Amino acid sequence: MNYPPPLMRLGIYGRRRFSLWLPLFLLWPVAAALAIVLAPLVLLAALVLRPLVWGKLALLSGPMFFGVLCALRGLEVNLNLGSRVLLMSFK
Amino acid sequence: MGDNQKRILDLLAEKKISVDEAQRLLSLTEPGKDTGTQGPEESAGSKDKPRYFRVQVQPEAGSGKESVNVRIPMALIRAGIKLTSLIPAHASDEVNEALKEKGVDFDVRNLKPEDFDELVAALTDLEVDVRGGREKVHIYVE
Repeated sequence: MNYPPPLMRLGIYGRRRFSLWLPLFLLWPVAAALAIVLAPLVLLAALVLRPLVWGKLALLSGPMFFGVLCALRGLEVNLNLGSRVLLMSFK
Repeated sequence: MGDNQKRILDLLAEKKISVDEAQRLLSLTEPGKDTGTQGPEESAGSKDKPRYFRVQVQPEAGSGKESVNVRIPMALIRAGIKLTSLIPAHASDEVNEALKEKGVDFDVRNLKPEDFDELVAALTDLEVDVRGGREKVHIYVE
């Protein structure tokens, strides 16, 4: 089953070392609760906007956004700027 | 006989391609031939699907330039392609026009997740190495 990344790592390594593990898994229950609360409003918006192209957008954007979130697992960006190294990764 | 071979013979029967061309194309579709030109489906079956798209930019030793190392999950690219289906038609037209201005004749509405799977299967053996100036660019899938 697909699930969003539970951890995000941010790091800046230079003269000062800074490394942060963000516990994203703490955010997901809040986001899920928010999505449930907003779902009726989104459905209503989709119905109202049905004649326009934005109806489909309103209805599908949620699941697609969730798909992108789940797909973030494994993304890693590592920039070495000479004096500093920037690191971002999703676990 | 595979679909590709039948298609080639049909094209020959319709005189859309010459005998030489048909022979060349048939030789490329022969299974088990070590030409490295197997179809994407056959390649995908013989190897694991790549999971990550990697881009590495490394400076030449001693140049002191920046280096970049990016690992993008294939699932993220697939999700991005799915997102293109949400682009309204008029916005797609604008994107297409902008691409055309840059010399890219491509219709973003033709971008489909099924095509991406085929592309990923074909990318299995991709490895691009560019050495130019003071940097070395390495693009590959893993």
